[in-house]
Amino acid sequence: MENDGTDSPGVSRREFLERVAAGGAGLAVAGGLARPGAPAWAAKGSVTLADVGVGDPGGDWSKFSGPTGWDVKLVAMGNAPSGVLNVLIAGGGTQIYDVVNIVGGMQKPLVENNLIEPIDTARVPNWGKDTYIREFLAPGKPGFDFIGYKGNVYGVPTVLQGDSFAYLPEKTGPLDSYGALFDPKWKGFVALEDNFTTTGQKTALYLQKNKLASIKDPANMTPAEIKTVIDFLIAKKKAGQFRVIWSSFEQSVNLLTSREVYVMDCWEPMVFVAKKKGVSAVYAAPKEGYLLWAMAAYIVRNPKRSKEQEKAAYELLDFMLGGWYGAKITLSRGYMTNPAAVAYAKSNPGEFGPAEAQEIAAIDANVRKKFQFGGTWQNRWPTHVETYESEWARFKAA
Amino acid sequence: MGALQGRVACVARYALLVLPLTFVAGALLVPLGLMFVWSFWERAGFWIRPAFTLASYAEFFAGVRLSVLERSLVVAAGVTLLGLLLAYPIAYFLALRVRRDLARNVLLLFTIPFLVNYIIRTFSWVYLLSRTGPVNRALMAAGVTQRAVDWLLFSDFAVFVGLISSYMPFMIYPLWAALDGLDRRLVEASWLLGASPRVTFLRVTLPLSMPGVFAAVIFGFVGTFGESAVPIILGGVGYQLMGNTITSALDVLNYPLAAAMSSVVVATMLAFLLVWYLAFDLRAVLGKIARWRF
Repeated sequence: MENDGTDSPGVSRREFLERVAAGGAGLAVAGGLARPGAPAWAAKGSVTLADVGVGDPGGDWSKFSGPTGWDVKLVAMGNAPSGVLNVLIAGGGTQIYDVVNIVGGMQKPLVENNLIEPIDTARVPNWGKDTYIREFLAPGKPGFDFIGYKGNVYGVPTVLQGDSFAYLPEKTGPLDSYGALFDPKWKGFVALEDNFTTTGQKTALYLQKNKLASIKDPANMTPAEIKTVIDFLIAKKKAGQFRVIWSSFEQSVNLLTSREVYVMDCWEPMVFVAKKKGVSAVYAAPKEGYLLWAMAAYIVRNPKRSKEQEKAAYELLDFMLGGWYGAKITLSRGYMTNPAAVAYAKSNPGEFGPAEAQEIAAIDANVRKKFQFGGTWQNRWPTHVETYESEWARFKAA
Repeated sequence: MGALQGRVACVARYALLVLPLTFVAGALLVPLGLMFVWSFWERAGFWIRPAFTLASYAEFFAGVRLSVLERSLVVAAGVTLLGLLLAYPIAYFLALRVRRDLARNVLLLFTIPFLVNYIIRTFSWVYLLSRTGPVNRALMAAGVTQRAVDWLLFSDFAVFVGLISSYMPFMIYPLWAALDGLDRRLVEASWLLGASPRVTFLRVTLPLSMPGVFAAVIFGFVGTFGESAVPIILGGVGYQLMGNTITSALDVLNYPLAAAMSSVVVATMLAFLLVWYLAFDLRAVLGKIARWRF
């Protein structure tokens, strides 16, 4: 996922602005300047949700606020591990945020720094109804590492997805292997993501499945295995295989739509955007499998939080596992959310038209198929994360 | 009475300096000092703890990141030199060869790019220089090349284009200011004494414009050396300058390494300033500060 985090200890510029904005909003309310027609339910207060840009249902939290009486204050947060940890450790985020919704798998650093709380799933009624949790994220399954740590549950899975790569069939014909990223046929027309945990892991999966290297677990490589992967990438880089490594959503979409590259390691939403711009890009179904991941909503640890505020945070987690929220996010982001989403969209034609309900069902079925097929679960904080970073620096400098 | 007034004026002057000095100390010197101290600390889990270790410096100087420092220096020097070669003639003509009102309008035009977001400006180069972009289309239409030229984008060339277009306008203003303030009677005297235009430029105009050159070099070099967006957008497969590799270390919370690299960058800049100071007589640039110290 995108690396756009805050990178310095202390109060970041973004956070400073958020605090100023929050202070300004407080003054406005105190001064009787609240928005005319503001909903009466916001009387109990608000739950602060820090999100990386995926979990916003178009600014409409009325389905949550109505029944609970709590408003949601959504604030932006970077998704890079460093950004998340910096904001929570050095930036005082534990005093500001109630829930953070980021790509999961961050439990080890978050728990070891006392930044998040274990979740009592009994307080989340939708938890037990979510068959995706049982199927893909239950204890003992690899997906549990995205929401749990040492047997405890810390995150509520809000979206699930399987990543592969995109290609332009008009230039390449059908492709079904990560080998396309390294195929000399597309030399100079390939782009990679600037992210050692995604690109590195997909390359490792390719090398492992095709028996090109001895890699035990692409999700958590030893230093020697990482070196093998990077040596492979450097050899390809020196042969002129890659055109660029991208680092932002817009940049990667532009690479596809301008046909600057034909094969690109990227996320599926980029293909959706490219298609909307008239480019017939395809998101591949590689025979090696997918890079699977899930977003997790964590409750930020704050001993000073009141019981009422904590209850509201739990209610928000439950809401995020509900049908309406799931359908909204699936429709707007293209990710699978929860099993209730498809049923909700179908049975509420006043809120989701037939075409929208059909699209939600199609996205859900497509992502579910990926999870059933399998692959490797993205590891956001592998054991040798520093080796990953330094080896990635070697690749970039080569 | 007079002595008392003088003392009051002196105290008032110092009182006036308290605010800016506090700001400089708080916003610049303290963070720089902390950064330097942290570069010797050691990692403790996901944070750092006080220690005195050179491990981060050793990691930097022994690893691939040193090559990034070398590249940053070469790119910053190259961009500064090319920027100066472009900016000086522009500033020269605006200051000495063009009507003052026209010069002001042209200088105003150079500010227009700054009204557009920096990232968007850089992305516009991607569009212009891409394989299917207008530059390649024009080259192919003119028969200069049969197929798209690859090295226009995601290359050293593209990085230089992006950096020069970003920082060269900053270099024009101090050069123009120095040349515009030049005492033209000295140039006329040179002519009257029989010096050729070339000799007049080299022995009168250029030396007198050195304060502007110095300021322009600082703007170009410092800005380019710390740049991180242009290499990412225009630089191709893993093109990095120091800003990028420092950010990368922070991605895994390696604060001591990031602090060590930043300290080396600051030390390098200070070393350059010192060399520049010793190589040229900068008292004219630094004015009272230099006179006070020397």
